Amino acid sequence: MKKVKWLSVVSSLVLAIALTGCGQNANSPQVQTPSEQKPADSAGSGETQTTESPNGKDTLVVAMTADQGTLDPGVSMDNSAWKITYPTYERLVEYDGASTEVKAGLAKEWKISDDGLTWTFILNEGHKFADGTPVDAEAVKFTFDRILKIAKGPSDVYGVISEVKVENPNTVVFVLKENFPPFLSTLAANYGGIVNPKVLDHEQNGDLGQNYLASNTAGSGAYHLTEWKKGEYFKLEQNSHSSVQPSLKTIYFRIVGDPSAQRLQLEKGEIDIAEGIPVDQIESVKAFSNVELIQQPSLAVDYLYVNTSQGNPALQNAKVRQAISYALDYQGIIDATQQGYATQMRGPIPKGLWGHDEQAMQYSYDPNKAKELLAEAGVKDLTLDFLYSDNKPFWETTALMAQANLAEVGIKLNLKKVAYATMREMIDKGEFDLCTGVWSPDFADPFMFMNYWFDSNSFGLAGNRAFYKNDEVDQMIRKAASINNIDERKNLYQQAQNIVIEDAAYIYLDQKDFLLPMSKEVKGFTYNPMLEGIYNLATMSK
Amino acid sequence: MKRIIMKRLALLLLVVFGVTLTTFMISHIIPGDPARMIVGQRATEETLQQVRKQLGLDQPVWVQYFHYMKDLLAGDLGTSIRTQKPVVDDLIAFFPATLELALLAFFFAIIIGVPLGILAAVKKDTFWDHSSRVFAISGVSTPVFWSGLVMILIFYGYLNWFPATGRLDIGINPPTRITGLYLVDSILTLDWIAFKNSLWHIIIPAITLSYAQLATVTRQVRASMIEVLGQEYIRTAVANGISGPFLLFGYALRNALIPTITVVGLSFGSLLGGAVVTETIFGWPGMGKYVVESIAYLDFPAMMGFTLVIACGYVLINLIVDLTYYMLDPQIKE
Repeated sequence: MKKVKWLSVVSSLVLAIALTGCGQNANSPQVQTPSEQKPADSAGSGETQTTESPNGKDTLVVAMTADQGTLDPGVSMDNSAWKITYPTYERLVEYDGASTEVKAGLAKEWKISDDGLTWTFILNEGHKFADGTPVDAEAVKFTFDRILKIAKGPSDVYGVISEVKVENPNTVVFVLKENFPPFLSTLAANYGGIVNPKVLDHEQNGDLGQNYLASNTAGSGAYHLTEWKKGEYFKLEQNSHSSVQPSLKTIYFRIVGDPSAQRLQLEKGEIDIAEGIPVDQIESVKAFSNVELIQQPSLAVDYLYVNTSQGNPALQNAKVRQAISYALDYQGIIDATQQGYATQMRGPIPKGLWGHDEQAMQYSYDPNKAKELLAEAGVKDLTLDFLYSDNKPFWETTALMAQANLAEVGIKLNLKKVAYATMREMIDKGEFDLCTGVWSPDFADPFMFMNYWFDSNSFGLAGNRAFYKNDEVDQMIRKAASINNIDERKNLYQQAQNIVIEDAAYIYLDQKDFLLPMSKEVKGFTYNPMLEGIYNLATMSK
Repeated sequence: MKRIIMKRLALLLLVVFGVTLTTFMISHIIPGDPARMIVGQRATEETLQQVRKQLGLDQPVWVQYFHYMKDLLAGDLGTSIRTQKPVVDDLIAFFPATLELALLAFFFAIIIGVPLGILAAVKKDTFWDHSSRVFAISGVSTPVFWSGLVMILIFYGYLNWFPATGRLDIGINPPTRITGLYLVDSILTLDWIAFKNSLWHIIIPAITLSYAQLATVTRQVRASMIEVLGQEYIRTAVANGISGPFLLFGYALRNALIPTITVVGLSFGSLLGGAVVTETIFGWPGMGKYVVESIAYLDFPAMMGFTLVIACGYVLINLIVDLTYYMLDPQIKE
């Protein structure tokens, strides 16, 4: 009797839920409506949309390896999130095609006062946010005030701004605290994306819309985020208020963590671009008839920090550091860690960025010279701690190769592998002798390398990870960062470069190639080394 | 029965307290500064201190713990450093995917494991026994990342029967959310498109995950069955002419199941926690992947939230196991 009672209760409950559910079937044909302008949402909200073929001519599917954190351009310093935000926002100026120079964006023209402190931008008319609100000077002011008020990552870059003034709806003026020539280039970076002031409608506890913008976009780019299924994919759709009419209407960024799964999906044409195929598996995709491998020089570099002031005392002698620079087999390391898809760096400013010096001195693999230098320095039986983590899988190989190379000249390396977070903490405190590192610029200016790496005011994680101090260099690079004449700047940077190369505070390993397997159907992709991992979606097609 | 439940719920509170204390301590011992992760490596010291203050990281540890517990009691697990969203919202979004995967894997482990265990016990020391042992042991000794890849290669790469990653095809809507379990929700809303599609996506990951648990179930069922079959009442039953399936299922299995339930129950707990690798390989948007990404970002609120949910899961499963015991054999007292 008892059993029967239970059964009837359960079955009537199921029936009731099923009946109420009938009208809400998310995939039933009668509710298929376009998903225009609806906010993005996390998993499973049962929204309605057309079930289009995922790989049609107007749909691009990009496989990426991990989900993203916040998408707020005023917060995120994570350049993998920028692949979503860059095409959804517009900036005052934009990087021009494949070049690291900037061109007009939201601003059609700009002028700089003689002292370099006042930058006036005249806006183009007709740009609209995805909700139809026109982009005006107020929005520009709002964006930069917001960044500075939030005071997270990008505020550091814009700390130089003293005030943003609205002159009229089409004119906005930036007053800087000091002359800062790279300013224009920073405006073309992701964090310069102009945000719709209406995000304040979504403000919670005075967060200036951070919670909302963490998973929504509010820009005037050619696309806007219409769906973010956490852990699965991002869906970008065309911004109907945008002045450009791209050929690709829908973009999916699919999260596929496993490289093997990605490779199979690429081979079968289920995805058009595979970002997560490691360099040691890249050869195999060359065999796919439907895939083309894009290979371009990048501005991403691999280097080693030599702790010049807080590490082993022997490293305070430039000769010892030079000896280490001569002891490494650069080509061998490139072949082992990058499968040959890289070139040895020449000086700290990579090729492709202005200020690069093709004549700069380059260390080569010369164990005998290394031994001589060590003898001259009077150093014997040197043992050094080599710090690295598993954050980059190839660091282990770099460590082992360096260990073998340095053993040849009589330097013993203790390999210290720690968790990435620990490694960062140890770098910041200078608790290492040698350490692996990667670096790529946020904006196209040698400032990103010279001033970050060598200024003695930025010891530790901030950039000068070699704890390198040279008063002459300090003066030169600080001066170079404070004048507008580009030839003069170039000259100063080159002089400083020669000194730091001689001082061997870093070991300049390699400048990586940008490698990307892409379906042959995809047309119009332009690679810009400043926008690595970011696609010119509005001008691409299939 | 009521007393058991009350006692266990009290225990649950104690466990939760212990877990929060441990995870909190651990997360504060690990070197690495979450504030630094937020502001980026090139931010100024000023900005860094400002964020530390915002997050309360400048307070003594015990004050931070006090605030954490106060918020926890109000149902607030804090804000994720990485996603900048409340951890509760993130976990609500990701937990159902993990639960669904674990439940189906559990189901597979039982429907394959129990018969296999019975077979091994009945045909003890024969070819069947040995084969079942090899099959089960190979599951527990093959790393999931390997078996997962092989499954993808065979069923997606060569045969093209199942999709490789994700929970649904792109372009298919998730069913209207009731429980968050796609299979359940699509049945409830009669959404057969979503049902078929999500079933297609979950089968290989669930089989992969269950394969690793199979040995536990099979070996336990085999051992208990052998023990039960050797007992006097079974011999009496046989002497009375009872044999075949009726003897096995009507008499022996019921008793053999009692110790099995403990093992199986706990194995479900480890399915929940251990789905991390499976989720990574199959691009399954569950809690496992969420927590792995959080660890890389030193996202302490997210990690602690995850640990808390798994710990509560374990305790609740234990409770269910004990209640099932009680129902199977009312002679067992608390």
